[in-house]
Amino acid sequence: MKKILDTGNAACALAVKAAHVDMIAAYPITPQTSIAEKLASYIGSGEMNAKYLPVESEHSALSAISAASTVGARVFTATSSQGLLYMHEIIHYAAGGRLPLVMANVNRAVCAPWCLYVDHQDSISQRDTGWIQFYAASNQEIYDTVFLAYKVAEASNVPVMVNFDGFLLSHSMMPFQLVEQEVIDKFLPPYEPAWQLHPKWGGTFANVTPSHEYVPIRTRQAEDIMKTGDLIKKFSREYQELTGHWHGDLFDVYRQDGAEVFLLSMGSMAAEMEIAVDMLREEGIPAAGLRLRVFRPFPGAELSQILPQGAKLLVFDRNCAFGTGGGALLSEAKNALFDRRDNLKVAGQIMGLGGEDLPAAYLAQKAREMMEVIK
Amino acid sequence: MLEMRIHGRGGQGVVTLAELLGKAALKAGQEVQTLPFFGVERRGAAVKAAVRFDTKPIKVHSQSYHPHILVLMNQNLLPIGLGDGIAQEGIIISNGTHPLAIDQKQWLVDATGIALDSDLVIGGEPFINVPMLGALARILEIPFPLVEETIREQWTEKKALPNVRAAQKSYESVKVVQGGAIHD
Repeated sequence: MKKILDTGNAACALAVKAAHVDMIAAYPITPQTSIAEKLASYIGSGEMNAKYLPVESEHSALSAISAASTVGARVFTATSSQGLLYMHEIIHYAAGGRLPLVMANVNRAVCAPWCLYVDHQDSISQRDTGWIQFYAASNQEIYDTVFLAYKVAEASNVPVMVNFDGFLLSHSMMPFQLVEQEVIDKFLPPYEPAWQLHPKWGGTFANVTPSHEYVPIRTRQAEDIMKTGDLIKKFSREYQELTGHWHGDLFDVYRQDGAEVFLLSMGSMAAEMEIAVDMLREEGIPAAGLRLRVFRPFPGAELSQILPQGAKLLVFDRNCAFGTGGGALLSEAKNALFDRRDNLKVAGQIMGLGGEDLPAAYLAQKAREMMEVIK
Repeated sequence: MLEMRIHGRGGQGVVTLAELLGKAALKAGQEVQTLPFFGVERRGAAVKAAVRFDTKPIKVHSQSYHPHILVLMNQNLLPIGLGDGIAQEGIIISNGTHPLAIDQKQWLVDATGIALDSDLVIGGEPFINVPMLGALARILEIPFPLVEETIREQWTEKKALPNVRAAQKSYESVKVVQGGAIHD
């Protein structure tokens, strides 16, 4: 299939079209807007057979697709930053309701002060809502991850958020390979819900529950989300067999051979981090790049397996976990490793907030500084 | 990796120029990345876009500080362009009829004149991004048929034709300036 040059937002919209989504509701917000525009134009021109509901807010967008999901539709929405925050109530609702939604979030800093550029504060602020969170590092990965997202969401009844960096990916054109429709259809057959609201069924959705009903529902939700890590690995392999496209499973490791220092990051920063790793290797530092693709469920056991005895883990956070003295990725990594390992050194650094530029030389410099701290 | 940074003003089609150039380069078998920077997102404000070319997939996602090629849609953008940096041996390509008073190697194309001659006028303003595309393709040694193909994929026949003609004129007429003198 041919390689095209287009933006991350176009890659996302093309994948949503190929995934045979039934219903879309979205509200424009920079830098997500062109996803909503492209999908509306595909539907308008008849290229895509789906319903598009223009809504007055993100809260309504997510409410609308949640409702459509309960009657058995495959649905989609996209947002960024304040839009994602405005959805917060329904983000919980969709996860608790076990709705297999897929949402693209084009990562952007949050207010105040107002800022249009990338960081991960928006999606990290939704980390405890019960959604699976992917972070893509290229336009090809955005395209491929949308199919994986539906596959995982529908197999687990857990909603999925596909995150990618505002402007650096959403508006940056990079070549990517489209996949033939029949291959997509093989990987992602039409959605057949296990249940759906229907007058003939007569059931209800999200009813009032006392604690003795609420607790087992919550417990099962928490257990099922933990299990999605294995589903993601399985479906990633399946997709690779069909298409040859591979971006790693839960982690993508760069230059693992003999590595003792691991540079952990997410999104486009992690792509440039590979150049920083090359720079450090040239200095004789046995560095490796550790790109986290799946932030929820957090792959703690896998992280522990990757790191050899005495390894140094350097964590680069594009977000701030306020009140912890570091970023969320640092907290997550330490939490995951605390019970598993006592022979590692970990340091963290917050950088790249509000679109702060992150050239490889700067990343390498920050890595050297962190290594000094944990020497 | 070869890096190019294009400076223009909001409404001049800088982002489209980067896109078309990227598409032509992809046809020529190169890996490409375009990275627009919108700034304040306002018509008339200074805007820029980086375009990167390589033989292997591009991992860089940071801004362009030391481009090998600096493109100026208007010559009065020179201070902004230089202020944002250029590689030591970088070359400058500008839209104009007279060379810039700089020591760096430069190329010159009369994109405004070509746009006017080719009826590429929108709202009374000459539209210079396609003439610049022709000139840049020549400097990057992208064969013209690939530029023509790219333009024909972008627009319908009626709109493509004057654009192809303009691109060809600039492809043929862009000149290198050496020691202050213009050479064919």
